[in-house]
Amino acid sequence: MADHGHDHSEMTKGGAHANHILSERTILIVAGGLFFLMALTIGAAIYMPEPFKGWTIPMQCLALAIAVAKACLVVYYYMGVKFGTRLIKIFAYGGFVWFFMLFIMMIDYTTRPMEPVPGWEKQTSSALPRDTVKNPE
Amino acid sequence: MSSTVIEQGTVEKPHSEKNYLNADHTLKSWLLTVDHKRIGILYLISVTFFFFIGAIAAAMIRYELTSPKGILLSSEVYNKTFSAHGIYMVFQFLVVAIPAVLGNFLIPIMIGARDMAFPRLNLLSWYMFITGGALITLSFILGGVDAGWTFYVPLSTISENQISLCLVGIFITGFSSIFTGVNFIATIHKMRAPGMTWYRLPLFIWAHYATAVVVILGTPVVAITLFLVVVERGFGFGIFSPELGGDPVLFQHLFWFYSHPAVYIMILPAFGVVSEIITCFSRRPIFGYRFIAYSSLAIAFLGFAVWGHHMFISSQSAFQGIVFSIITWVLAIPSAIKMFNWATTMYKGSVHFSTPMLYALGFMGLFLIGGLTGLHLASLDTDIHVTGTYFIVAHFHYVMVGGTILGYLGGIHFWFPKMFGRTYSEVWGRMSAMIVFVGFNLTFFPQFMVGYLGMPRRYHYYYFAPEWQIYHVLSTAGSSILGLGFLMPGIYLTYAIFKGKKAGANPWGAKGLEWENCDSPPITENFEKPIIVTGSVYDYNPEEDSKLYEDEDTGMLGGKY
Amino acid sequence: MSDHVAKHGDGPEVYFQYEDIDQQQESYVVGMWSFLVTEVMFFGALFLIYTLYRWKFHGTFFGAHEQLNWKMGGLNTMVLLFSSVMVAFAVHFAQKGKTNKQLVCLGVTLLCAFGFLVIKTFEYGAKFDHHLFPNHSFSYADPEHHESKSWWDEALPAALKIEKHEQEGNPKNARLFYSIYFTMTGLHGLHVIIGIIAITALMVLIKIRSPLITDYIPTELVGLYWHFVDLVWIFLYPLFYLIPR
Repeated sequence: MADHGHDHSEMTKGGAHANHILSERTILIVAGGLFFLMALTIGAAIYMPEPFKGWTIPMQCLALAIAVAKACLVVYYYMGVKFGTRLIKIFAYGGFVWFFMLFIMMIDYTTRPMEPVPGWEKQTSSALPRDTVKNPE
Repeated sequence: MSSTVIEQGTVEKPHSEKNYLNADHTLKSWLLTVDHKRIGILYLISVTFFFFIGAIAAAMIRYELTSPKGILLSSEVYNKTFSAHGIYMVFQFLVVAIPAVLGNFLIPIMIGARDMAFPRLNLLSWYMFITGGALITLSFILGGVDAGWTFYVPLSTISENQISLCLVGIFITGFSSIFTGVNFIATIHKMRAPGMTWYRLPLFIWAHYATAVVVILGTPVVAITLFLVVVERGFGFGIFSPELGGDPVLFQHLFWFYSHPAVYIMILPAFGVVSEIITCFSRRPIFGYRFIAYSSLAIAFLGFAVWGHHMFISSQSAFQGIVFSIITWVLAIPSAIKMFNWATTMYKGSVHFSTPMLYALGFMGLFLIGGLTGLHLASLDTDIHVTGTYFIVAHFHYVMVGGTILGYLGGIHFWFPKMFGRTYSEVWGRMSAMIVFVGFNLTFFPQFMVGYLGMPRRYHYYYFAPEWQIYHVLSTAGSSILGLGFLMPGIYLTYAIFKGKKAGANPWGAKGLEWENCDSPPITENFEKPIIVTGSVYDYNPEEDSKLYEDEDTGMLGGKY
Repeated sequence: MSDHVAKHGDGPEVYFQYEDIDQQQESYVVGMWSFLVTEVMFFGALFLIYTLYRWKFHGTFFGAHEQLNWKMGGLNTMVLLFSSVMVAFAVHFAQKGKTNKQLVCLGVTLLCAFGFLVIKTFEYGAKFDHHLFPNHSFSYADPEHHESKSWWDEALPAALKIEKHEQEGNPKNARLFYSIYFTMTGLHGLHVIIGIIAITALMVLIKIRSPLITDYIPTELVGLYWHFVDLVWIFLYPLFYLIPR
């Protein structure tokens, strides 16, 4: 963060010009990339030959990697983060990084059993419309 | 803070009597205003209203508990009463009070801007806040909510009450605070006056920046969680239903992912207020400016990684319990940094015990007790003994009421001359500060003891242990005093708005753009001329400034005692 | 109440609280991005719930996902990607001041958005007919249950060459899958509807030459929002329609 008395700090004014115009060529190239990656993700999921198709975790990672690549194309080019100021970059990255804070919860679920209690199965569902739940009295 | 104004033509323009309060008098000009100061006043009126609803519920709870067998309320109504107390106080008062009232009013002035970055969004937030409050009120009129403010599933999905309506109201209020947070972030980043660098910002601004970050990162998570409960009730989906293989504890995880940081949404702005008050009435520059500034951010970010300490006995795994316990202990460090820095700021200062300072000192004392009892709750073994007892109740009231409300009242008293251009009676002010402090301790300290003995929270019968009655009677007596202490500022401040003595631009001799470059009350554009900030913040001088108090002519408030 | 005061004779208008146009434009973009951070966390909690239950009940989730129609989902992906490209063009033309071309691009985006919702309606309708909507009428892998017939059961699968799959897995966990599916896609659909409202409002304001629109920034903000909606779908599609065995 800037220490010196600029009008607005370097952080917010730095980097490329704020209103960068994406050229038509770039838009079309990125669009091509997006559609190619979409075809790739469907191909990888549906038309993958059999020995590979059964590998759950690598295939899931592949699908997510392709999704992340698509997301990067959209975020970098169409949403202008590549040409944005440092401040915008921080917010753009910050949101996606902070999302992983939620996954601290997985520490809990990987270190304890989580099984439906058998007793619950006999109860009426709590997820019924209000009037169908019997009054306990 | 030293600053210059850009001179335009004549040296001194004739001072105009127009300010934001008397610029226009119609009701429409208030309800459609985009002026951040007027929106702050609208929030002031509405949060005070919601505070009194919550306070009435609290009074009913305290009266009920004076007898081991209950006096006034049936068990169902008691459940709805403490739910109402929690929901109104947390969602409609504590989370919004300081940011929406003082933050809205002061952030643009403190950074030298003419308004918020998005004035219309600001007004929209207020309308959403009112809509949310109206829906919550409607849900209580139509039958009430008995699941507590935490809405734990499966109780909240089974319970036959107006929970859906109430949750929709909370959802809307949540988005109101998200929009306020977005506004704060854009304003603080982009609207600072020339020369107002990050390290020249008042700590009030740093605290509100950290708050806004917590709001935009945390509030959506609770919004979606409560939305899922509504969906579960309305459509019969079963995301948290144990009979479908779902996990009710997941709700608690997601709920506390927001609701623990929400505690910091409540307390961080109070830290900001107290930093301002303590420097002003110690007449010393703040000790360790950067430490306080960064400890706000550290609290904001670390605060997201401790939510599991609400769930030590909720079937969370022991391993994760240990992790959360450790992080919670770490979180005590930035809070302690602030306490030590405030204490060091007062050291060798010229301390004056005017009303805001009394509130700020009360804040420090109560927050210290609240924070230290928090450490009992952060360690796994003592927590298992006191979870779900009045010990918890006392602890979070020390933090939320002792912290936030004392900070809020201190801030209101400190900036009252700026907001309304008039002064209140110092005698009444100091008396109310004392009464609040005494009443507060008498209310909640017995709760620590009765909680440690085992009184469970949310119970209204304790006939199995009638020896606890004395603590409850003491607590109720204290709450009457506390209620009186809250009522008094309501009365003498309202009186002072209309009949108080005129205050000058800077009645405390305080530093900061809002005092030195701005009238009381400010004009609609805040500043007559554009501001350029040239010096650092908090350039107080204890030796010279203490002379200000001896001088009768300067009309300094709070100097004579 | 002087809402905005024009400082320059022509060119973009600077609202009274800002010093210059750069500050105003950046403020809006920063504000929009911090709102998008909020939206990321909003969907983030749902992605966490999905991850948890998918990890716990992977087998049933795989079985249940085969009832979803990946071809219609893929079609929707294409529609949304195309609309995103159109929004990028709309911003491009807005920056160059070519209002007519901008309006055409926004119009195509609007059509895509409606198309997305129409395809989604077909999918939802089929799920309702197959008793896969996760309320009390939910029925999965139930031998006594006879499938009801509706016109899209005959016409659409034939046209799209969709193979039918047996309903496999634990019906309770399958109901969990459909709860998450309907919540996430429904919420995404809600965002599409909000986007439709925003784009329509933008087009009307541009068309009537409203004083609210003086530069490309409103288009840019609506564009950012729409790209975000697209972004969510980019992740929803592989996670719901293309689950590996």
